[in-house]
Amino acid sequence: MTALYEARSVSKRYGSVVALRDVNFQVNRGEVVGLVGDNGAGKSTLVKILSGAHPPDSGQIFLEGKRQTWHSPREAIEAGVETLYQDSSLAPDLSVSANLFLGREKLKPGILKLMGFLASKQMDAVAQAELESIGIAVPPSGRTVFELSGGQRQAVAIGRAVSWASQVILLDEPTNHLGARQSAEVLAVIRQARHRGLAVVLISHTLPHVLEVTDRIVVLRLGRVVADAPSTTFTGDSLVRAITGLNQSQTSDQGGQS
Amino acid sequence: MTTLSAVKQGRAGPTGDDPTPAGPGWAKPLHRLRHHRQELILLLVLVAMTFLFAQLNPRFLSTAAAANIMQDFSPVLLTAVGQTFVIISGGIDLSVGSVLGLAGVICALTARAANQAGLPTGAGIGLAVMAGIVTGLLVGLVNGLLVSRVKLAPFIATLATMGAAYGTTLVVTNGVQIAGGPRAVILIGSKTYLGVFTAPVLVVLGVTAIAWLFLAKTRFGRYTYAIGSNRFAARVAGIGVKQHLVKVYLLSGVLAGLAGILVYFRLGSGSPSSGQGGELQAIAAAVIGGVSLAGGQGRLGGTILGAFIITAVISGLILIGVAPAWQQIVTGALIAVAVAVQAIGNPKRSVDL
Ligand SMILES: Nc1ncnc2c1ncn2[C@@H]1O[C@H](COP(=O)(O)OP(=O)(O)OP(=O)(O)O)[C@@H](O)[C@H]1O
Ligand SMILES: [Mg+2]
Repeated sequence: MTALYEARSVSKRYGSVVALRDVNFQVNRGEVVGLVGDNGAGKSTLVKILSGAHPPDSGQIFLEGKRQTWHSPREAIEAGVETLYQDSSLAPDLSVSANLFLGREKLKPGILKLMGFLASKQMDAVAQAELESIGIAVPPSGRTVFELSGGQRQAVAIGRAVSWASQVILLDEPTNHLGARQSAEVLAVIRQARHRGLAVVLISHTLPHVLEVTDRIVVLRLGRVVADAPSTTFTGDSLVRAITGLNQSQTSDQGGQS
Repeated sequence: MTTLSAVKQGRAGPTGDDPTPAGPGWAKPLHRLRHHRQELILLLVLVAMTFLFAQLNPRFLSTAAAANIMQDFSPVLLTAVGQTFVIISGGIDLSVGSVLGLAGVICALTARAANQAGLPTGAGIGLAVMAGIVTGLLVGLVNGLLVSRVKLAPFIATLATMGAAYGTTLVVTNGVQIAGGPRAVILIGSKTYLGVFTAPVLVVLGVTAIAWLFLAKTRFGRYTYAIGSNRFAARVAGIGVKQHLVKVYLLSGVLAGLAGILVYFRLGSGSPSSGQGGELQAIAAAVIGGVSLAGGQGRLGGTILGAFIITAVISGLILIGVAPAWQQIVTGALIAVAVAVQAIGNPKRSVDL
């Protein structure tokens, strides 16, 4: 079976730093894959390559078995790949609604459309409904994202990624800034997305979350994949060992490509 | 959960009803007032200033003085409008003053050449206007490419074209005034409507109204804010940041070119020294109007008031007998005060500083 989204022997270096070397990674429809590793292991780099934000130095990307070369994030977005970046990808001076629709604005009909006039009220209304359905109590218009709390901003960013995605969602530390209850809501949102048949990639340093919600876990260490196995084969301890590389003998045989 | 993707695929979507207002009925106008606090303050400043200058010299309130202020106001406003787009996008355009000057003399040279070649007046003036616009377009294009492709800091890129444009002005004019255009130019430029509005002033007001619509109501404006607010966010949202920035600098260049043309129509000749310090006035107008130099924030309504304040201050100072050399000092001081006031009134920017 070909994976829905796949990276094959992808490498990437920044100057003298090798961020990724020869990485194979895949995620299927209706599957949640956890991507874990220490700080600097290369997780965000892989996300940026998969989202079209950075080109890989070598290696290929396949969506539904078809070779893809993203020249810009726009191309990946149009193919149904949505991303929550670790660095804020919201424009703080714009309203919540403007952020939800950024890059995909609804326009007024007719001649006004040609001139690019925004259908602001319509977007505000959809944004409101959308936020309510995700359980975010934030008025979408009027206030700018700058005026929201860190957690509310994160919620808006997740909401945007989840609601636009039609194939793949890449979530780089989505529970950052979130309290316990909001984190649980994010996990619920992830399960819903899986239920919708989306492929979900979850990056998190909160290993209990990863063990709880993912179907498979891929461990990166210093830019290499050191483990790739069903989540049920990991315990908290063995996952930590795989991440840190200490006491390697116990974890390396759990690896093996699926 | 799937509302957005449903809209995207054209399956669903509301009919454009008002979203439920968040709060009691009276809260909305109150919120609007707060939203426009900057503009209200500027209006008060303007009224207070008018009062002060009128006390010092009653002629400040005469129709003649008002007409003069309106005429001085137009090039400042035009360049400030372009500057507003550029600054909101996170950049700055230092070349607008030089572009104004260059476009003016190119316009004058073209008009004179057409006149000498015996072209019909209308055709000559048309050519001259076109030449002025193309001048602005070209410099704007160079600015846009330097910023987006060569990745120069906007400050450096436009400083370079500022110098180059001024140098070109001196080369093509040999440093002297370009007269000898058709007389019709001055007639067009000085005919007044309603006492204080000349044709150029009306053109400027019309252009400003359109620019206001585009900044506040269209996707073009939204992308301008988004890029200035968080360039990474704009890029990963799929916005063509580079292409958009080129358009923004093009707009600023064209508006500066148009300002040069209007000055030519007012004077009937092209002066190599016109436009000097114009960048300072344009930036001052935008910044006084609440446009944040950090990008992402500001409205054209504020810029209009800012341009008015700048022109009124300068005219007022002249009327009460202050030497013209003080103009730039006052403009510079106004920028400093405006930025300081912004930093105090705005939590985000004061944190950033
Ligand atoms: N834009 C960049 N320029 C230079 N080096 C970079 C850049 N982005 C990442 N790196 C380097 O690449 C390596 C991998 O970084 P990456 O951000 O992918 O790690 P990560 O696994 O996401 O870490 P974290 O858990 O801290 O987010 C690091 O050594 C980092 O310093
Ligand atoms: Mg990271």
